[in-house]
Amino acid sequence: MPMTDERLWTRVQSFSIDQLHIRIESLIVLILLGALMAFLSPFFLSVSNFMNILLATSTIGVLAIAATFVLSSGGLDLSLGSVLGLSGVVGAAVAVKLNAPMPIAVAATIGAGAAAGLVNGLIITRAFVPAFIVTLGMLGVARGLALVISDGRVIYGLPDAMVYLGQGRPLGIPMPVIIFVVTAVAMHVLLAYTRYGRHTLAIGDSENAARTSGINVDRHRLSLYVLSGALAGLGGLLFATRINSGDPTAGITYELTAITAAIIGGTNLFGGRGSILGTMIGALIMGVLQNGLNLLAVQSYYQQMAIGAVLVFAVFIDQWHVRKESRV
Amino acid sequence: MTISTKMTTVGAAAIAAVLAAGAANAQDEGEYGILMKTLANPFWGAMGEGVEDGAEEAGLDYFIQAVESDQAAENQLNVCNTMLQREPVAMITAAINSTNLLPCLSQAEEAGIAIVDLDGNLDPEILAAENIDITFSIGSDNVQAGAQGAEYMVEQLGSDATGSILVIEGLAGNVTGEQRAQGFADRLGELAPGLEIVASLPGDWDRGKAANITNDILTRNPNLLGIFAANDGMALGAVESVFGANKGGDVVVIGVDGNSDAVQSIQDGRLTASVAQLPYLVGKLAVENVQASIAGEDVPDRITVPTLVLTQEVLEAGEEPMLEFVK
Repeated sequence: MPMTDERLWTRVQSFSIDQLHIRIESLIVLILLGALMAFLSPFFLSVSNFMNILLATSTIGVLAIAATFVLSSGGLDLSLGSVLGLSGVVGAAVAVKLNAPMPIAVAATIGAGAAAGLVNGLIITRAFVPAFIVTLGMLGVARGLALVISDGRVIYGLPDAMVYLGQGRPLGIPMPVIIFVVTAVAMHVLLAYTRYGRHTLAIGDSENAARTSGINVDRHRLSLYVLSGALAGLGGLLFATRINSGDPTAGITYELTAITAAIIGGTNLFGGRGSILGTMIGALIMGVLQNGLNLLAVQSYYQQMAIGAVLVFAVFIDQWHVRKESRV
Repeated sequence: MTISTKMTTVGAAAIAAVLAAGAANAQDEGEYGILMKTLANPFWGAMGEGVEDGAEEAGLDYFIQAVESDQAAENQLNVCNTMLQREPVAMITAAINSTNLLPCLSQAEEAGIAIVDLDGNLDPEILAAENIDITFSIGSDNVQAGAQGAEYMVEQLGSDATGSILVIEGLAGNVTGEQRAQGFADRLGELAPGLEIVASLPGDWDRGKAANITNDILTRNPNLLGIFAANDGMALGAVESVFGANKGGDVVVIGVDGNSDAVQSIQDGRLTASVAQLPYLVGKLAVENVQASIAGEDVPDRITVPTLVLTQEVLEAGEEPMLEFVK
């Protein structure tokens, strides 16, 4: 009975969007991909491999959360990767060269990211330079600054308490995974269930309507870029503590991967729609793809092709829905 | 109807693939895992070939992986972690920098996997601080390679020459690049105090970046006498800028690696010389020695493979015995 099937499917889709804020299609793709990889490689289905996938996804995942917020509001942050690198270097420099205690070094790492985000936000909202240009400029400035501070070399030897954040395994779960999941849940609640999140989506949907309804668009935008920078700083902290050093070349091209993950997860590139849970699924789709192909010893060039194809396919599904929904 | 037939065919193919993979993974001696940087650079391609030939000659099972660029540090770490899932008996790795693979190597060491530092990318002090005991490190003596570059440059310019020299370094923070640049600078200072290094800039192993650096320095120092680049890719970029500025033949350009592109360029009379490493030999010896170590034999901590200065004369004469390992 095609009629009933279609109605049931539509009900599942709306439930998924309304209650879980994710497109059911992306979840299905993730599960199918996982099943395929499990089929193809005997090494895929194991707890340690799943931990590996989550660990590999955690840095990009945090950046993808930042990208989700900014994209949802109709903005763009191309400086995510460079700010990640800069933050890691700042944190390492504060810890190693200034011998600061761990909490200060961690605060410095995230603070450096937030500061970069603040600069981005101020220029975008006060000087009216488009976000694309400003964050593109910050991409260069932050990377250069990272190289200047570190003199081009890795800053090795963080304090043990800090290294634990990247290498500790309480109950067998890697710390970066715990930090990533906790952050994702908190940010999901922020975006989906609070007024701050609703305002973010409203601004992305229609800036004029948002302004008319009393939202201080500029101030909200500014806060979003600070948040984005702080999350990039968190990403920088996760990577630096994993390898016990501040690496000035960390994060190169990460901003594109983060945006890809957000879009695969259902965030609209032009604003108005986005969900952190969806982004996590998008990031996991990429993570599972890369991990599975790595286990099969497929060269990473093919991985890049696969991810590009998945991205276009994901947006196609998304746009197909949007067109269906807008048909009266 | 059509869909279910397709599904069955896909399913059958998948099962066949799994069974085939299972049969291939006959783990008698165990698998050797090899992690390169990027195969785009012919140097690493040749080393990969050497490792594969060495493994095939010894009848070993191996799997080889690389990442997409010289700068994909985190991705290489993720690939490394994934490789450990296959429980190899040895991990032969060419780390992108001295710290990016540390957590993976730590895990490998705990699992009793033999670790080989391919091409000396790891820093022994950092390894000691992390309590990672690798089986051995194999590579060319990069300081010596830089020194040989300086010796050849002085041979060409004369020990009482005065003028400007440009040094193009490798990727920021990479030990190999630092050693070559330092080796060159020290030896040059000893042999020809009149030659001044006016700039020492990181080219990040990138041909394009090196070309731009060369352009800029040529503008500042039009009478530049020589350029030393820490690898061939960058040297080739520098050469193009030199010829583009109509100074081909006036500037001595020396690279390091001796890869196939460089050999071609030397034979064509563009690149002056390259301090050839023998990556093919490095790869082969790496496999032979780690196999010996796993079998219980004693293997030195640091194995040095000699380097060879390749010039037009050397290539034309074709008599040098080590040339067979230049690929």
